Amino acid sequence: MNVRKLTFALLLAAPASPARAQVERLTGRVDEATRAAVVAVVDSSRSAGVPAVPLVNKALEGASKGADGARIVAAVRALAADLGRARAALGPAASDPELVAGGAAVRAGVSPAFIGTLRARYPREPLMVPLAVMADLVARGVPADTAAESVASLMREGVRDADLVAFRQSVERDIALGAPAGGAAAVRLLTGTPTTSTLTPGDNTNRLPRKP
Amino acid sequence: MTGPGDDPLIARLAAELRRAPVARPGFDARVMAAVRRAPASLPSRAWTWLREERTLALSPLGGAAMAAVLAGVVIAGVWGAGRLSPAGSGPAPASPVAAAPSVVTFVLVAPQARSVALAGDFDGWDGSRLPMRRGTAGIWTVNVPLAPGRYDYAFVVDGRRFVADPAAPPATGDDFGRPTSVVTVGGGAARAAGGSL
Amino acid sequence: MNEEEPDGALVRRVLAGDTDAFAGLVARHRDRGLRFAASMLGDPSEAEEALQDAFVRAYRSLGSCREPDRFGAWLLQILVNRCRTRGAGRRRRARVFVRDDVALERAAAAPGGDRDWREEIELALAQLDRLQREAFLLKHVEGLDYDAMARVTGARIPALKMRVKRACDRLRVMLREVDDDGAR
Repeated sequence: MNVRKLTFALLLAAPASPARAQVERLTGRVDEATRAAVVAVVDSSRSAGVPAVPLVNKALEGASKGADGARIVAAVRALAADLGRARAALGPAASDPELVAGGAAVRAGVSPAFIGTLRARYPREPLMVPLAVMADLVARGVPADTAAESVASLMREGVRDADLVAFRQSVERDIALGAPAGGAAAVRLLTGTPTTSTLTPGDNTNRLPRKP
Repeated sequence: MTGPGDDPLIARLAAELRRAPVARPGFDARVMAAVRRAPASLPSRAWTWLREERTLALSPLGGAAMAAVLAGVVIAGVWGAGRLSPAGSGPAPASPVAAAPSVVTFVLVAPQARSVALAGDFDGWDGSRLPMRRGTAGIWTVNVPLAPGRYDYAFVVDGRRFVADPAAPPATGDDFGRPTSVVTVGGGAARAAGGSL
Repeated sequence: MNEEEPDGALVRRVLAGDTDAFAGLVARHRDRGLRFAASMLGDPSEAEEALQDAFVRAYRSLGSCREPDRFGAWLLQILVNRCRTRGAGRRRRARVFVRDDVALERAAAAPGGDRDWREEIELALAQLDRLQREAFLLKHVEGLDYDAMARVTGARIPALKMRVKRACDRLRVMLREVDDDGAR
């Protein structure tokens, strides 16, 4: 692996600079009508503080997956709306990665008001990882408000990035091994009550196997 | 905080683990021999990254069960972004540079595939820029430097089929009806993300 | 070599040029180091390599050990680093180390009669997240308090507490059936 060559190539792929440069990436990937519609969304979102890169990425994703123009435009609009809400909650100083994670959290059902509270409580700390962990927990079936509260309460106890990740991975493992993702299990994760109480009797999917 | 005294199972477990294993004969002598050798550079390179690739040992059921660990969120490797060095003395790790790219290893076990590529937000969903390399037992890998951020991605098998990363969380937004995963990269050194087909 | 000499005295002798005195430190700290490394890495020969590596590094940087009387804690810190490096390195080589279904399938496929308690424990430990396993071992097997653990690992105390708690939760679940059978 030649990391340097690859780095150079990737940095060329997605310049963070002007929106014009961004929409150029659409040329040849989508038809003219779709391109024009996406450009319109990008332009109108800019005033709301929404960056162009994620919007263009979403359009390119749709193109790559063979989606039709209308679907692509709808997806870009939905993402722009999510990012707009995240921007309103996270403030003008939020970085693009924070916004993208915030948009994912909003899409997952975490309320923008909650995100705003988190920002107010931690004005100078990057929130990308906590927001990403919330979104990922919801994607695994944990209810949004439970996911949000778990992460917030861990942060209150001083837990930060790598350990928030470990928490999310632990939850995923438990869910994969048979614990229900919904309310009961998630509450258990928060309060630490014994795990066996949430397992179905006779469910031994998370036991070590016994030789028959 | 629960202590071992509060839980008999944990206490039994800890007691068993406290029984010390026995070192092979000559351990002390080997250490002293190494200690007495002329201290050029530390033998660290001999012990770690530059060792030979070991061949994988798979159980007969290994194909379906194979997976690299960790997926979804990549944070700084051993030391974590923003952590203090351990108090006290001793060799300290190099701290990661803030906002430097992390190298993420993507892995897919797909012994039947003829080609596998990676496509995602980090390469404009191109699908041709990040072909993956086939290794032992049909395990495809690619190493990608990624700046901190959150990226949707998928594996493209045989040029046409989108496959999600089973070990990673699903992407959150509209995935256009195709399986899609997401990886979040914080600051610092890399870990692997991967899964099996 | 006088085996009654405390660590501080041995360290000072080594620093004064008496290399052989280091053997006393090795003899004194070898078993505990092996205990941690073997449970952490899950492989006795890897554990010996990690421990040997840790001793050699300790020797070479002995001058920077600020509290010679607490050589054991300082060595443990180095050993924790070595174990982390080996764990991460193994992952980069795409060698399967810990993954629930792999461990479970191997366990199911293994021939032979009843596994003993020790083996069940080792399988369960192997299924823990690496940092959780490390925190669990330091707290409940090596008996460190959280301040000492923070110094050894460089992690914050709230994070360490969470890791220990998660580890205990998962170990309880995994080993519950074995324990209920009582046949150990």
